[in-house]
Amino acid sequence: MQEFGLTLVVLALGIIMSVYGYYDAAAGRPNTFLNFDNLIDGIATPMSYYAIMAVGLTIVIITGGIDISAGSIMALSALGTAAALQLFPSTAPAWQVLPVAVVVALGIGLLCGTINGGLIVGLNLHPFIVTLGTMSIFRGLANVLPPEKTLPSAGKRLPAAFTTEFMRVEVWGIQPMPLIIMLLCVALGWVYLRMMVVGRETYAVGGNEEAARFSGLPVAWIKLRTYAIAGLAAGLAGLVSVGRFGTASTSTGTGYELTVIAAAVVGGASLLGGRGTALGALLGTLVIALIENGIIVMRFAQEYRLIIIGMAIIVAVSFDRLSVYLSARRGNQRA
Amino acid sequence: MTDFIQFRSITKTFGGVTALRGVSLSIGRGECHGLMGENGAGKSTLGKVLAGIHKPSEGDVVIDGTPHIFSSPREALSAGVAMVHQELAFCPDLSVAENLCMGHYPRRFGLLIDREAMADRARTLLNAIGVNLDVWQPMRDLSTAQEQLVQIAAAVGTNPRIIVFDEPTSSLAEPDVHNLFRLIDDLRQRGITTIYVSHRMPELFRLCDKISVLRDGQYVGTLGKDEMTHDAVVRLMIGRSVEEYFPHHLAGSPGDTVLRVRNLTSPGLFRDISFDIRAGEIIGFAGLVGAGRSEVAKALFGLDPRVTGTVEVNGQPLQLQSIQASMRAGIGLVPEDRKRQGAVLGMPCRANISMAVLDRVNRAGFLNDAKEKQIAANFFDQLHVKASSLEAPVNSLSGGNQQKIVLAKWLARGGRLLIVDEPTRGVDVGAKAAIHALIDGLAWKGIAVMLISSELPEVINLSTRVIVMRDGHIAGELARAQATQEAILRLMAGVEMAS
Ligand SMILES: Nc1ncnc2c1ncn2[C@@H]1O[C@H](COP(=O)(O)OP(=O)(O)OP(=O)(O)O)[C@@H](O)[C@H]1O
Ligand SMILES: [Mg+2]
Repeated sequence: MQEFGLTLVVLALGIIMSVYGYYDAAAGRPNTFLNFDNLIDGIATPMSYYAIMAVGLTIVIITGGIDISAGSIMALSALGTAAALQLFPSTAPAWQVLPVAVVVALGIGLLCGTINGGLIVGLNLHPFIVTLGTMSIFRGLANVLPPEKTLPSAGKRLPAAFTTEFMRVEVWGIQPMPLIIMLLCVALGWVYLRMMVVGRETYAVGGNEEAARFSGLPVAWIKLRTYAIAGLAAGLAGLVSVGRFGTASTSTGTGYELTVIAAAVVGGASLLGGRGTALGALLGTLVIALIENGIIVMRFAQEYRLIIIGMAIIVAVSFDRLSVYLSARRGNQRA
Repeated sequence: MTDFIQFRSITKTFGGVTALRGVSLSIGRGECHGLMGENGAGKSTLGKVLAGIHKPSEGDVVIDGTPHIFSSPREALSAGVAMVHQELAFCPDLSVAENLCMGHYPRRFGLLIDREAMADRARTLLNAIGVNLDVWQPMRDLSTAQEQLVQIAAAVGTNPRIIVFDEPTSSLAEPDVHNLFRLIDDLRQRGITTIYVSHRMPELFRLCDKISVLRDGQYVGTLGKDEMTHDAVVRLMIGRSVEEYFPHHLAGSPGDTVLRVRNLTSPGLFRDISFDIRAGEIIGFAGLVGAGRSEVAKALFGLDPRVTGTVEVNGQPLQLQSIQASMRAGIGLVPEDRKRQGAVLGMPCRANISMAVLDRVNRAGFLNDAKEKQIAANFFDQLHVKASSLEAPVNSLSGGNQQKIVLAKWLARGGRLLIVDEPTRGVDVGAKAAIHALIDGLAWKGIAVMLISSELPEVINLSTRVIVMRDGHIAGELARAQATQEAILRLMAGVEMAS
């Protein structure tokens, strides 16, 4: 099973780095990899945006589609949330601030995702082309709409009820909120795909769109809602990001789409459609996050980061190909 | 007699599934050797072992005294083995000519593809089996029957010593079937050995010198020309005899008109189609491939945006605009092309069977697993599906079993009118009787059935009335009593043949 293999990869990476961290640490100092600060702040928190978006994207990929506009949607959502929240005094109470933040961030994400889906379904265009366009448009809007390059504006601060007391809240010395939201998303994604009728419809459309249509499934609506969900996930990622950093900028989320696609694909989502899981999305992101963290912990030059990530993607996809090839050999041209 | 081909204790396993178990079988030179067995018995697998697609787990094949273990179709081809596959495999976006010449494109200056030579070669190959096709049209636009013919042309065109035909007639219409038979006779005269897999006994009796039977992956026996009877074969296949199914629904009297079609027309496909189907009736639609039967079916299912005419279901007018609208009116369609329109091959059987009844296994948005399993298990039982489990992906099933899954999907849904397009394509005798019984049972329960089939015996046996289509219009309608093979054939072919 795909998730099983990924778990092994995660464990292997973890063990290698723990061993390295053990010998790397100066006498009497904690393991440089295996310590709470690194595991939470160095891995879990930064990966949370990716994982949240990877779950959304995995659902898209299962239908045989793709969405490369996630990073731009995330920026719009983060900026919109910051713009809305800076209207509040920095001491505004949580019951005022949090609902506004959630509604604005998720609203923007949902809207952008629906636009993607509407264009793809309504104009019957290839999702790559559409989201390539909207990636640029949304990023452009993120550049044009805010009055400044960074929000909140100079001299202002976002309400503490959203930042230090919510997204950055400390429990036992760590900040678990992004991690919790990420796990919640994965759980929701898992329930959606595994246990709900909508999830089944998603796999059916991705597996054979025509057969799904011939079975009476509302294919257009199924696809539309898939992109809306991916947008929603990107909006949520924006919310997490602005809460954690206390700011959003026009360049928030730039280039994230590629990491997110990589995470989904490493997690076993097949670009041909029909295959992928929410847990895979999480594990795929974790693999990438571990590699990224390993580069830091093992003090490789940052320049190698891109090369190593790139190789990880290709290795993952070739495994995918290999498994397809092997099952094709076993099943002959039935596939 | 010399044993030209000798399978020597062939075993083939797929993961945990054993498809062939020590099969030993000899075939004489120039023989036409039939291969029969239930769905999933291992016929296709045995053929594929010979054609180099599957490497046997154990055993080998001796051809003309030389032992072989092929590990690729190329090796088999160079030993003179070609195969016409049951599950068609082509590049849908390439033209017929390109598909036919694949692997040995005629070149010009060694680099450029010689398009003229390629077209010529393709035409020659097609003409050799008596087919006329525009060789530049993309494969995608071909009907299943035409695709099948191109397959046959491709196999014959490799000049093999041995050809395996795996259910070649399952999607062909009468005249093409005749051409194929002539071709096989001709091959035999040229000393070419053929292995012919089919579920249609009359064909096998007509063509084959011997028939071998597989059961559950094992060789059970061979019948010579004089021992070939329906009963003997069935007995070998399933260990008991199966009576031809006599439909039940004829005993009941038809109820109210369920479907009323008037002047249904779609430019270029069919015109002025008018007929009624009453509750409890099974109306057989006969006709040549391309006569427009499947097109009418698709239009009724809301798949033809250009269709005009009026349709009423239970007295209510139905706008033929979407599948959802047709389904809401209680219409279901078992499509003819199971691979493209029928099954999601990568999904488990259970998920495929429930696909048209997702609303019924929906509990507040969640899948009711228990109920879904129960529905799927029920049809697994009724249709004798042979699969490792409900969770096996459909593409791991044998062809006939895949067909049963597609059928189960719509049987599960029920409704007022069920349109079945080639419901028993590639299905074995036992299962065919079971499917006939199920269709009959639907009619008995008061469902109207529109049965499209290229198998005349099936149409004649099951139908209350037979409507014959030709060139996009209704050529005639026959009551059950008049619906003989000759009468139907005459209408199918038109006046030309009537004289
Ligand atoms: N790729 C595969 N993976 C797993 N099982 C397989 C695969 N191919 C075939 N089988 C199994 O092997 C058995 C024999 O299959 P095969 O296709 O040879 O049957 P068949 O006799 O041709 O049936 P049919 O009449 O339905 O075409 C079946 O139980 C099938 O499920
Ligand atoms: Mg077969």
